[in-house]
Amino acid sequence: MAPLTPYTYIQCPCSDQTVFGPGGAASDPEENDQTFDPKAPRSNYSLYPLEYLLYCEDCQQIRCPRCVTEESVTYYCPNCLFEVPSSNLRSEGNSRCTRSCYQCPVCVGPLQVGAIQPTTDANLLPTQYQTNPSGGPYALFCQYCNWTSTEIGIEFDRPSGIYNQLSKVNNGGQPKLTLRDVKDRRKDNPDEPPVPDDQVDADLQFANLKAFYQQQLSESNTSLRGLPLHDGLGFSSPAALTRIMSLYTGRGHQGRLQQGPADIMREALGTNDGLKIANLDESKDIKKLIDGGWGVTASIEQRSQQPTEPARFEDELRPIAYLLRSKRSKRCPSCRHIISKPEAKVVSTRFKIRLVAKSYIPTITIRPLNPTATPVPITYRPMVQEEEPLKPHQAYHFVVTFKNPLFDNIKVTLASPPKTPGRFSSRVTVLCPQFEVDANTDMWDDALKDDERDRSRKADEGPEVGKIWEKGRNWVSIVLEVIPASLRIDQLEKKGNEKIDTSPLKKGEDLLEIPMFVRMEWESEAQADMDGPPSKDKETREKRELAYWCVLGVGRISHE
Amino acid sequence: MSSGTGPALAHRSVASIRSAPILQEQAGSGTTPHTPPRTISNTYGSPATIRADDDFLIIQIGSRFVRAGFAGDNQPKAVLTCGPQDQRRAGDFRDWQPAGDVDLQSGNKDHELWRYDLREVDLGLVYDKLDRLLRDAFGRCLLIDSRPRRAGLVLDSGVPIPILSTVLDLLFKGFQTPMISLMSTASMSVVAAGIRSGLVVDMGWAETVVTSVYEYREVKCTRSVRGGRYLNDRLYELLQKLLTGKEEDDGARVISFAECEDIMCRLMWCRPPASKSPQAHKPAQRQSQQLDTVEEQDESEPEPEHSLQNSVASIPLRSINPPRTVEVSFDKLADVCDDTFFALSVAPTEFDDEDFPVHLLIYRHLLQLPMDVRAICMPRIVFTGGCSNILGIKGRIMEEVTSMVKRKGWANVSGKHVEESRNSQFSDRRASIARSVSSTATASDLGEEQESSRPSSIASQSDISDPIEAKVARHRPQISQMQGEFRTLHTLGPWAGASLVSQLKIPAMATVDRELWLQQGANGATRPNEIDVKAQQRQSMGAGGFIRGSGGHHTNWTLGAWGNV
Repeated sequence: MAPLTPYTYIQCPCSDQTVFGPGGAASDPEENDQTFDPKAPRSNYSLYPLEYLLYCEDCQQIRCPRCVTEESVTYYCPNCLFEVPSSNLRSEGNSRCTRSCYQCPVCVGPLQVGAIQPTTDANLLPTQYQTNPSGGPYALFCQYCNWTSTEIGIEFDRPSGIYNQLSKVNNGGQPKLTLRDVKDRRKDNPDEPPVPDDQVDADLQFANLKAFYQQQLSESNTSLRGLPLHDGLGFSSPAALTRIMSLYTGRGHQGRLQQGPADIMREALGTNDGLKIANLDESKDIKKLIDGGWGVTASIEQRSQQPTEPARFEDELRPIAYLLRSKRSKRCPSCRHIISKPEAKVVSTRFKIRLVAKSYIPTITIRPLNPTATPVPITYRPMVQEEEPLKPHQAYHFVVTFKNPLFDNIKVTLASPPKTPGRFSSRVTVLCPQFEVDANTDMWDDALKDDERDRSRKADEGPEVGKIWEKGRNWVSIVLEVIPASLRIDQLEKKGNEKIDTSPLKKGEDLLEIPMFVRMEWESEAQADMDGPPSKDKETREKRELAYWCVLGVGRISHE
Repeated sequence: MSSGTGPALAHRSVASIRSAPILQEQAGSGTTPHTPPRTISNTYGSPATIRADDDFLIIQIGSRFVRAGFAGDNQPKAVLTCGPQDQRRAGDFRDWQPAGDVDLQSGNKDHELWRYDLREVDLGLVYDKLDRLLRDAFGRCLLIDSRPRRAGLVLDSGVPIPILSTVLDLLFKGFQTPMISLMSTASMSVVAAGIRSGLVVDMGWAETVVTSVYEYREVKCTRSVRGGRYLNDRLYELLQKLLTGKEEDDGARVISFAECEDIMCRLMWCRPPASKSPQAHKPAQRQSQQLDTVEEQDESEPEPEHSLQNSVASIPLRSINPPRTVEVSFDKLADVCDDTFFALSVAPTEFDDEDFPVHLLIYRHLLQLPMDVRAICMPRIVFTGGCSNILGIKGRIMEEVTSMVKRKGWANVSGKHVEESRNSQFSDRRASIARSVSSTATASDLGEEQESSRPSSIASQSDISDPIEAKVARHRPQISQMQGEFRTLHTLGPWAGASLVSQLKIPAMATVDRELWLQQGANGATRPNEIDVKAQQRQSMGAGGFIRGSGGHHTNWTLGAWGNV
C-alpha cells in the first residue's frame, strides 16, 4: 500500500526520451502527446518524491537519480565505518569489508566475535562476551537470533582478522583448498593423485581452469581459430611477428605440418585442468532433506544474501561480510557540472555541494479541504490518521498549495486531464489553473504585510471557480475538485467499440491519482555567460520556463 | 605502429596494479599488436578514466535475474532478481514496514524481466526494470561509478532481437558503455567446464534449453517449456488443492508467488532413477521389464518399500490468512517434479514440439545431431540453470536418457512395428543398426552389453587410417578424446565462463561498438556470414579506441548468434 496520506510525485523529464516502439526504435511522436498515466507500469520508474530530485542550475533541468552520472568519493564499511582506500578495493577485487564485520546468515543481524566458553562452565551462555586474554577458540555470535559460527563448525584462533581466517576455512572446519596448496602438495609429492572432485569447489575449479586456459593459449598457435591473445610482449618478439605474418597469409595452415605448438588448444582432461565430473548421486543430500524437512533448508532470502554459490541447507550458509558503501558525487550528464558532492569524511553527513530540486521548483502539497480525519496531537506523532476512503460519485475538494522557493515571482499554469487515465476514470477539475506565486522574499515581509492575511477567505465561503483559495508570502493554494469513479466492474462505461476490461480489480486501482502538468514561468537575472563578456546592463531579465508532470495522490476510493 | 610499444609497456604497468602481473585487465581487446587504449577523448575524459578502462564488466541477463561482476572473478558480485517489490516508486518503503499486507496478486509475469513471447512484453518496461537492476548492481554491489566501462553481455542465443536491442540501447545510452561483447550462455557454459564441445542442458526458468556446442559453435538448439515456471505452476496447483480442496483456480491466488517459489527452491527433489533406488536389489527380471515399459509405468504409484515415501514436510505458510502450517508429503513433491520434467505417464506421441520432457528432449536432440558431433557431445553433457539444482535431477535425467538409448538405440523410427521387429529379430538388429549408425556414435544400443570399453577402442582405430596422417599425428601430442559414452561434467556456469574468456582476452563472437550502434541500431548488423573476418581482425587491432577514433568509418559488425533484422 502506498502512503495513504495525500502525496505528490514528480516525473523526471528524462524518462520521455526512452520510449520504445515495438521494434526497439525510438518513440513515435503520438506517444508523447498522450497524458501521463501514473498507473502505467513504466511510470513507477520515472516518478520521484521531490526530495529525491536534484537540479542542474546550468541546464535548468530537474535531474533524477537515473539521469546523473556518479563518481565515488569514498568507500567505507557501514558497520565499522572504516574508510577503505579505492586502491585496496581494486587490488583485492572485493567490495566487502575485509576486517571483522559480518552479518548473520540467518537473520542478517550484525555478528560479534566472542570467545567460546570452556564447556565446563555451563552456567554462562556462549553469547556472553568475555575478554579472555589467554585467547582460546573464538566464534562469531549473532546477538539477535543466537546463531553462532560453531553451528557451521567454524572457530577462529584469533579474535581479529576474521576475514582472512574465514576465507581459509570451509564450513565444517576443513581448510579450504587453494590452487597454491594443490601445487605445493604436488611439488612435494609428484605422484599424488589429483584432488578428488568432491573437494574441488568453485574457486579451485575456476583457478584450475584459468591456469589451464592460460597455458593452452600460450602454447597453441594463436592465428588459428580466432583465438589471439596478448602475451605481454612487444613487437620485437618473434612470436608477435609470426602472428602478424599469419594475419596476412591467412589460415592456409591445414596442408602444412605444424612445427612446434599445436594449432588448437586441447580441452581440459583432468582435475588439474579444471575438469570436474558432475556429481550425479545426490542421495545423501536427498536423505538430509527428507530427514530434516523444512527446517534444515535455507530460505530464498537467506540464499540471495550469500555472496558465494547459493547454499541449499542451513548449515551451508556462511557469515556474510558487510558490503561496502560509497559516497558519491553527482554530475549533470550534459553539462558536467557537479550537482551534489558529499564531504569525504565517512562520519560526516554534510554536503559540499548539493543542488536539491526543492530549492528550485515549487513544493506542491495537497490536503483535503474538509478533512475527515482528526488531527493527530503533536505528542502522538508520527502516528498518521488515515483519511476515510472517498465515496464514488461525490464531489470532493482538495487544497493544492504551491510554495515558491525562488526569489522571483513565478507564474504557474496547471493542466490536468478532465478524466484520470485508467479503467476507472474519475473527473477532475482544477478550479484555478493559472495563477502567480510571489517571490520567496524576506520572512519579515510576511509579517509586515498584515493586510494580506485579511484577504484569505473565511471558512464558510465555498471554493470559487477561477479564484485562488488562499495566498501567503510565497505560496498560493488552489482548489481541486474530484468526483471519484465507481469501482464496480459492471458500471464501466463503454467507449466506442473498445472492449471493456472486466477483469477483477487490480492492485492499486482503487488509488485515485491525478496526473497534472505543471508549467512555471519566471523572469530572473540573466546568468553571466562564460563565453560572452558580462553584460553591462544589470537589469537584463531573462525569461525562464520549466514544465513537468506531477502526480497528486488523493486517496482511496471506497469499494461499494 | 611500433612506436606504440613504449607507451604500451608503461601503460601496462599501471594497468596491472590490480591483480596478477601476468594478466592485464584490459580484457577482450582484440589481437596482439595493439596500441594501448589511451584515455579516449570522449566527452567524459577526465584523468580518472584510466582506471575505468581496467574494469571489464560481465553482465548475464536471464528471464528472472541479472548477474553482474568483473571479468576475472569466479563469481558475479551481484545476483539480482526482479520482483514486484523492486518495481515500486522511489520513496516507497512498504518493504520495510512490518508485514501485514501480502502480495497475493502478482504472478509469474511480475517476477520476470522479459518473456520470449514479445506480444506479452512491454519493451519500455524491460528497459526500466533492467535499468534499475543494473544501477543497483553497479552502485550497491560492484561499487563502481558511472564512468564508461566495456562490458560483456551473456545472453541466451534465443533472445529475440528487440529484447537484445533494448538491452544494448540501455547499456550504450544509459551506461555509456563504449563497447559490448556478446557471448552466448551455451558456449560460455562449455568454456566454464573446460571443454570445447558439449551438450549444454540449461534448465532455466522459462524454458529448458538443450544446446549442442561443437568447437565453441552452437550447432543446434532445442527447447521445451518444461522449466522452472512450469514446475512452480504445478507445485502451486498441488498446494492449492491441498489448501482449498478444490481443483480449479478461481482467480485469486491462495498463496503468494514468492512463498510458492520458496517452497519449490527449498523442498523440491527428484526421485532417484529406478535402477538406483532401493528396489534395485529386487530380481533382475523385474528390472528389465521396468526398463522396457518405462512409458507405461506409473511412477507416481507409491512404492511400499520406499523408505522416503512416508516422510512429510511441514511448511509454515505465511501468505495465507490466518497463517498455518501445511503438511506436504515428499512423495507428492517428487511427483510434481516427475510430472514436470519427465511426464512418464504420458505417451511420447502426446507431446507438442515445445513441451517435450527433458530426457526425451535430450535424446531427440542427440538423435538429430550429426553423428560425429553426437559422439563428441555425449561424454560432455553439462547442466546449468536453476532447475538443475533440484536434488537428484541430473542423475535422474542421465539415467532416463541412458535407458532410452539402451532401448531404442539411435534409430529415428518408433512405433509398434519397429518395437515388434526389434524384439523379434534381435540378432539382425545389431547388424542393421551398426550399418545405419556410425560405429563411433554409440554402442549403447546393444542392450545389456558393457559399453564403456568399446568407444575408446574405436576412436583409436579410426585415427590410423592414413599412413601419412599417422606420420603427422606422431608429431602432435596425442589427445585422446572421449567419445560415444555418457559422462556429465560440472560447469561453473555461463557467467564464470564469460569471465574467463574476457580475462583471457579472447574476442567474443560479436562485438558491438557504441558509435556504430547509436548510428545504425540493430538494423546495422550484417549477416554473420557476410562479415569479413580479416577486416574485423584488422579493425580490432586498434583495441577499441581505434574504431572509436574513426567514428563514421564503415565497418561490418554482427549480432553473432542473435541473427540480424
